[in-house]
Amino acid sequence: MTNQGNLDAFLGDVAATLGADNATVNADTVTRYGENTMPGGDRAPAAVIYPGSTADVQAVVLAANTHKVPLYPVSTGNNMGLGTRSASTAGMVVVDLGKRMNRILEVDERMGFAAVEPGVSFQMMADELKRRGGQWMISTTSGPPEGGMIGNALDKGAGYGPYFDHFGFSCGMEIVLGNGEIIRTGDGSIDHDELVNWHVSKYSFGPILDGLFTQSNFGIVTRMGIWMMPRPPAIRSFHFAFPDDDDLAEIIELCRPMKMSGFVPTLFRVANDMYLAGNEDTHPEYAATGGKASISDDARKELQRKHGIGAWTVSGAFYGPSMDAIEPQIERVRAHFGASGKAIYVPHEDALDRVPLNCAIDSFSGVPTNAELGLLKWRPGGGNAWFTPGTPMDGKMANEFQAIGRKIYENNGLDYTVMNVCGARFARGLHVISFNREDSDEAARADRAYRELADAFFARGISVGRAPIDWHDFHMDNVMPPFRDACNAIKAALDPNGILAPGKYGIGSP
Amino acid sequence: MKTDFTADQLARPAIADAAGILKDCVHYGFCTAVCPTYVLLRDENDAPRGRIDLIHEMLESDAAPTARTVGYIDRCLSCNSCMTTCAASVDFMHLADIARAHIEKHYRRPLADRIFRQLIARTVLDARQFRLAVRAARLARPFARLLPGRLKSLVALAPARLPPASTAIRPGVYPAEGKRTRRVALLTGCVQQALAPHLNDATIRLLTRHGCEVVVAGNIDCCGAFTLHMGHEDKAKKFARGVIGAWNAEADGDGLDAVVVNASGCGTTVKDYGRIFAHDPNIAAAASRVAGLARDVTELVSEIGLLAPENAVALKIAYHDACSLQHAQKVVEPPRALLRAAGFDVMDVPERHFCCGSAGPYNMLQPDIAEQLGRRKAGHIESTGAAAAVAGNLGCMTQIAAYSDLPVVHTVELLDWATGGPMPVALTGIELPPPAPVGAGASPAASDSHGIW
Repeated sequence: MTNQGNLDAFLGDVAATLGADNATVNADTVTRYGENTMPGGDRAPAAVIYPGSTADVQAVVLAANTHKVPLYPVSTGNNMGLGTRSASTAGMVVVDLGKRMNRILEVDERMGFAAVEPGVSFQMMADELKRRGGQWMISTTSGPPEGGMIGNALDKGAGYGPYFDHFGFSCGMEIVLGNGEIIRTGDGSIDHDELVNWHVSKYSFGPILDGLFTQSNFGIVTRMGIWMMPRPPAIRSFHFAFPDDDDLAEIIELCRPMKMSGFVPTLFRVANDMYLAGNEDTHPEYAATGGKASISDDARKELQRKHGIGAWTVSGAFYGPSMDAIEPQIERVRAHFGASGKAIYVPHEDALDRVPLNCAIDSFSGVPTNAELGLLKWRPGGGNAWFTPGTPMDGKMANEFQAIGRKIYENNGLDYTVMNVCGARFARGLHVISFNREDSDEAARADRAYRELADAFFARGISVGRAPIDWHDFHMDNVMPPFRDACNAIKAALDPNGILAPGKYGIGSP
Repeated sequence: MKTDFTADQLARPAIADAAGILKDCVHYGFCTAVCPTYVLLRDENDAPRGRIDLIHEMLESDAAPTARTVGYIDRCLSCNSCMTTCAASVDFMHLADIARAHIEKHYRRPLADRIFRQLIARTVLDARQFRLAVRAARLARPFARLLPGRLKSLVALAPARLPPASTAIRPGVYPAEGKRTRRVALLTGCVQQALAPHLNDATIRLLTRHGCEVVVAGNIDCCGAFTLHMGHEDKAKKFARGVIGAWNAEADGDGLDAVVVNASGCGTTVKDYGRIFAHDPNIAAAASRVAGLARDVTELVSEIGLLAPENAVALKIAYHDACSLQHAQKVVEPPRALLRAAGFDVMDVPERHFCCGSAGPYNMLQPDIAEQLGRRKAGHIESTGAAAAVAGNLGCMTQIAAYSDLPVVHTVELLDWATGGPMPVALTGIELPPPAPVGAGASPAASDSHGIW
């Protein structure tokens, strides 16, 4: 907890530099900045400040070093189920980069990149590209349209198209380090006023530092280059519904060669029934069971019928010059999946009318969508956490993990809700833990389920891609000690006073 | 969200409704980033989540609302952008209606505010007084800068020209061209009748051309939307009862297949009649019947199918989604599809989820915020490079026209023009592109300008 005298002195310095309007301890404001969806409860910050530039951020960081006040930077604070704007512990000062640092600094339509500040959301960028005539598209998540592009890339978020790897398709950053120094990465690191290659080449002289700033707390990224993709004239999706839970093994085997060969340009979304039905529906048996039991198989079957989905539904898309020109690829992929004898094909035109599948189409098309947010109301009470392990693209292994996961969800009276996002070699399993946060027993079960899932997967050599703030230390404890030590050594070198988000991602915990 | 209403409070239908809505809010906060007032003001209580807390506190308390709370509720546009993005499906629209009605009943506004609000409520809804007020505003324009804030803005909003009173649409039956396939009632709108009766002319031409017999019922003053937005619930219901009675009489007589609305702000209220009168057994069924018949004009024409355009002009137009259409009625694709089918090159507007600042009486009551939003919207519209702006709501059209030099037209004017009607007057003088092949309206997706495919 911050010493009040230090905090007052810090806020005085910030107000003098940024203006009094850009620092607040208003009770309504700090309360809401501490709200999240975790079982561990809200964590109100001590204050919220709103820098307007990299120079402002530097001034804030220097003042925080002077007064030993911990800062917690957020971009747009929309990483729902992972923490939103809430700091990992209460009492820090939230640095909200979204309020004023939300400028699209540059769009280069020849080289296909944009440079953005942390407050630029997927929706803002999509709007800007639309304004420019719609010739370019960005990779979007299926999460909140107001999610920040930089925050998502730094937290290793992803989309679904060819540019799905948001960190991988970023290029060149500007960062205020924990010690207050400003650095540029990649070809932006040269000591020159003209940075010709900053956002087109990552591999300049010297070490590639960019990765240090993903899932860490060594600096505040204030600018990032984002690569854009030429928007194809036509995007046509395909969908296959499979009836049984155990079909996952075959699905994974079918997807792998389609991705390995590059035949299908998008990732595959392999979503289970709860994941898709939850876009629109709420738990039909919640009132009857008081939320203490998993949804029944009968209710699942009914939801599958209602929404025209399977126990698993596979979605992907092709890009091409016209819808007709894509048809041969569609026929090829139909033949491939149809050979299983179990896949029910859902054509693009039908999928457009089904909200859960339409969400997939938007995601493949670089269109921000609210559709998947419906998952958050599957159970009442607003509790939501994401468990994000991954497995090789091995059908047998995927089914084994499905069995483990289902059992843990069921043991804790929760509903197994998963989408496997599949590439050529690896599938990320986005597990949604939906729970009633206003019910202490259910919240405790959610916490237990998360820990049991993480333990079970870890026991088989698997960690997570991203982690909710409740379990950062928990996951860091699973990391080999020398790696952990290296992270803390870098933290000590770049942020010697430990003022940037101490404890976030399990690094530099107080 | 847990509430703590007493049994006595819950016995009041409005409070019971509010309690049901409040419990859905779990403070996810997606609403904040899409709320125009939050984006402009960055005050947590100027976002839906904050307002919901304030409404909760206000309704649970038996004390009069505080000026602070009223200020935050007053600044809400009721654009319902929050409802589109809310993951918990909180019915903010009705919660705001309940809060506004509660404020009007239990809060005594400062005298100047009371007078101003009464002035607006009286003049806007009475065609004669409205015309007088517009003339007075025009006379006052040279001295506008000497007027106090909101009056100054009112004067600025007054249109430069008013159509003659004789051009207002008369009650009656307008027969279908050719075989009658539908019989529909048209809501001509109170403000629209005074300010832009040509929109009703275009609507009648469009509908009759598409086989509709159009009924304009007499003795209809207003649908109640405007007064409902001001919290004057009783007055709004009085207006609505008149409308419901008139259209039920038509439906019981020669029958009605639809009630057509071409002002989407009104359409939202008409479609909501069932809920507004849910607790009044004397009229609940009739109200629900009208609500069930209500269609935005683009919904009905989509159902019928647009005639092949006689006059397909690939004019580049920026389609502005009225909040009442996109957020409240969820009518997003029909207008775009119809305009494209009619041959127009339809551009989406960046930040389309954002309100233009019109919002019923809002631009009169909160002129500063409305102006910021109006300028922002106009800038986005103009950034598309379109030759004209298009909207499905007169309020939006007026607001956009106040801040943009582009001609602003209604969707029905373009559809009417394309299928045989006159060119919209607002487009007079603009350079038209050559006629387009039928059905060649451009899609919002990119063409292959990169030369890749």
